Amino acid sequence: MSEHLTDDELIQELKRRFEQNKKSLKELKELNNELKVVNKKLEESEALKTHFISNITNEIINPFTSIIGLSKAILSVDKENWKKVISMVALIHSEAFNLDFQLRNIFVAAKIEAGDIYPEILRVDVQNLLESVIESFKFELRKKKMNIQFNLNGDSGNNQLATFKTDPEKLKLIIANLLSNAINFSFEGGVIEIDARIKDSVLSIKVRDHGIGISKENQKIIFDRFKRVDSGINSLNRGHGLGLSINKAIIDMLNGYIDIESELGKGACFTINIPESEEPIEGFATDANEMFFDSDSEVF
Amino acid sequence: MEELKQHYLYPAALFADKEPHVVNTILGSCVAVCLYDPKTKRGGINHYMLPLWNGQGLASPKYGNIAIERLIERMIALGSSKADLQAKVFGGGEVIETNIANFQIGDRNIKIALELLGEHKIPIVAKSLGGKLGRKIEFLTHTGEVRQKYIQKQLIQSK
Repeated sequence: MSEHLTDDELIQELKRRFEQNKKSLKELKELNNELKVVNKKLEESEALKTHFISNITNEIINPFTSIIGLSKAILSVDKENWKKVISMVALIHSEAFNLDFQLRNIFVAAKIEAGDIYPEILRVDVQNLLESVIESFKFELRKKKMNIQFNLNGDSGNNQLATFKTDPEKLKLIIANLLSNAINFSFEGGVIEIDARIKDSVLSIKVRDHGIGISKENQKIIFDRFKRVDSGINSLNRGHGLGLSINKAIIDMLNGYIDIESELGKGACFTINIPESEEPIEGFATDANEMFFDSDSEVF
Repeated sequence: MEELKQHYLYPAALFADKEPHVVNTILGSCVAVCLYDPKTKRGGINHYMLPLWNGQGLASPKYGNIAIERLIERMIALGSSKADLQAKVFGGGEVIETNIANFQIGDRNIKIALELLGEHKIPIVAKSLGGKLGRKIEFLTHTGEVRQKYIQKQLIQSK
């Protein structure tokens, strides 16, 4: 058909196509501009979110740290007329401790959600770390008249437990979540057994309680987000159902795995296995944070 | 004398504010770029862990190329023009000894800072880079002054 087109017709057709192209190009430009605006908004909201998380982390966790510290200090004052004050302070401490713990979990969950979480590897003294977590639950344990049996089975010869390379803050949170669950789902006067060992550069920590236990069906869902098993003993429970899902996410990040053994009514035993990290050590433990600038500091 | 506000800068974060602040941070193989504008007397700082964002996942200021661009944007938003900015660059030590080329994160972090600041024509007026030790730095945002201390090895190994 095109052979029959006259030169004039051809020119008209080309002009028409040219106009069409110009029009689509204009449309494309407009769309592009819209996209730019949307992109800018997204960037802004991302910055806002990052800002929000770092802000809130400082502004909420720091006060709690001092509340916990102060109330703990008052608790060790030993005078008879202080009994009432002490019982109140004990309550404040316990509540603040719980809030602090839950908030940490929520922040970590938010970071996991945003994909903004990464291991911060240090050399960790595992025994020290476990003891400090247990120590932080001292009042919770006392409240329920519970005891902890703590077993260490490191290769004492090379002292691997004292220099294990992993992320101490994440490990603390994992243990705190397991311990908190074990306490919450135990009966008064119960015992929790904690066992830590390192074999072939894999750190394995068991936390066993003799509480209400978890049925086989429920064992499948406890690592899912926000799910909490309805156990019937309401007064025993608190929490947001984030703990175990967070644990799973963090342990995955550290290339480890978590196992559960349990039977309804016979308590539960969680085992975590975390291989020693091969990542470069980034950042430093608290010593460096406590360094002060003095006349020896270099000035730029 | 008025007490300055303190800010502890976490890895993968950045900080810039109208108000004068003392910003502290600790660097291993990470790099911190401090930008200062002598005209507005305002400064900002980042702390990135890895050189380049690979285009996947969140474009977080964990990565040097993102963190430097964002910091420049933030300074401009605070009223600076790019031509007035001066840079001081710190960190990028090889804290752990390794011979594997891929692992030399410190070096790669340094390179990206020098490259990007060069592209933006921002002069580097001071730097303390590389080496085998970690650094603790303190940045005064209203004067642009940076104080630095090296972190000795035994401090690292004691924990």
